[in-house]
Amino acid sequence: MTGDREHRVQIEHGPPDVDLGRVWIGVGAQVWRRHPRAPERLAGWLLRSPGLARALVTTPSLLLGWVLATTVVLLAGVLATRETGTPYVALLAPAIAAAGIAYAYGPGVDPAWELSGSMAVSDRMVLLVRASAVFGLNAALGLAAGGASGAATAVTFGWLIPMTAVCGLALAVATLAQSANAGVAAGVAGWAITVLCGQATTGRFTAAVTDSVLVLPYLAFAGCCAAIVLYATRIQRGTR
Amino acid sequence: MNVEISDLTRKFGRTRAVAGVSMQTGAGVFGLLGPNGAGKTSLLRMMATVIPPSSGRIRLLGRDPDDYRERRQIRRRLGYLPQNLGYYPGFTVVEFVEYFALLKEMPAAEVHRAVATAVERVGLGDQARAKLRTLSGGMLRRVGIAQAIVNEPELLLLDEPTAGLDPEQRVALRAVLREVGQRATVIVSTHLVEDVGAACGRVALMDRGKIVFHGTPDELTARATGTSAAGDAPLERGYSAVLAEARS
Repeated sequence: MTGDREHRVQIEHGPPDVDLGRVWIGVGAQVWRRHPRAPERLAGWLLRSPGLARALVTTPSLLLGWVLATTVVLLAGVLATRETGTPYVALLAPAIAAAGIAYAYGPGVDPAWELSGSMAVSDRMVLLVRASAVFGLNAALGLAAGGASGAATAVTFGWLIPMTAVCGLALAVATLAQSANAGVAAGVAGWAITVLCGQATTGRFTAAVTDSVLVLPYLAFAGCCAAIVLYATRIQRGTR
Repeated sequence: MNVEISDLTRKFGRTRAVAGVSMQTGAGVFGLLGPNGAGKTSLLRMMATVIPPSSGRIRLLGRDPDDYRERRQIRRRLGYLPQNLGYYPGFTVVEFVEYFALLKEMPAAEVHRAVATAVERVGLGDQARAKLRTLSGGMLRRVGIAQAIVNEPELLLLDEPTAGLDPEQRVALRAVLREVGQRATVIVSTHLVEDVGAACGRVALMDRGKIVFHGTPDELTARATGTSAAGDAPLERGYSAVLAEARS
């Protein structure tokens, strides 16, 4: 009889140590769990931060569609270079990279900028990691395309420095204007002006990437743009 | 004390948004009331370490937010819901909450359970895999609250958390606030007096950048006694009385 009563009590009220809410949370945690893919796991291991890794793989200009579009444009550049002998890859690569950098992040572009500004992983660190990754990927794709186009080694590597300057300009404008599109416009327009100026003075379209005299001005310009980004993304102090 | 503030000011150009505020608070739910433009959001943003003060002293969770390392430690134990929650439209509810849990440097092994707990606490279990662009304003607000509480914060700062919520959701949110307030400091900025009466143990009233009242909701209500202050509820009349006195 005593056993029957205990059994009935268990049926009516359930075992006293089962917390159904807790069980449900456990089920939810398993069902909703996102399994990071290999690139995110690798980035997390390299950066020692799962948060930075997640930020990296959600960068708009590192998503598959963007990377494929970049590859297609550079392939077209390879074909044009081979057909005409003019190193179009060297002229395309900086402009494409500038667009990618403008869409990398930007504290001004990030819709959740205020929330991001209260996080333990700082928004500046996220910006640095994202911009470095986008720049690195674009440089690698551009170098591969440059090598495949059969251009001279000097031309293949010559656009890397101007690309740094153009990317710096795009990032600075995107940050200050709080608009990725404004960054793209500034980067592409700046590069177009540089290329056309090169043609005006020397009669050659490729002067912008082949003239070694421009290396120092490019680097100085990139440095100035980096300083602008650092200034614009600082924690505002005092009045503004 | 989790929040210690003395003579805090914040200027934007010539405008003084916060003008010499001092306050201390420990565990419990603390209401920050005031009309639009009173300086509540600026004060909350300083406490969230998003902007620094122009002058004055602030210590959060026993640490100095001006120091990089200490600021990072504060941010790990902080929950913040901004007035305007920006979001990534392509993220799902769970992805959004998880993203900010990771940026708060929660241990990776704890993140999934913490995200599920936070999503259930705000009643969004049915929408866990919905894209944010498909959610209503009230649901988005609850997503913002979920990311704020995902790390079991010791300091929870909520700017207008009940904006866009229906009455049933507001009651549920107040229960969450009371629960969190048992072990943490919860500061709720609002211009809705009834939220303060229902959920807050203490309340401060701000006007023109200054705190013009500091006490319990009952003490605020008592300030209306003997005045002809306007308002439909006793607490509203106390609110109006204090504001009228401060401006006279």
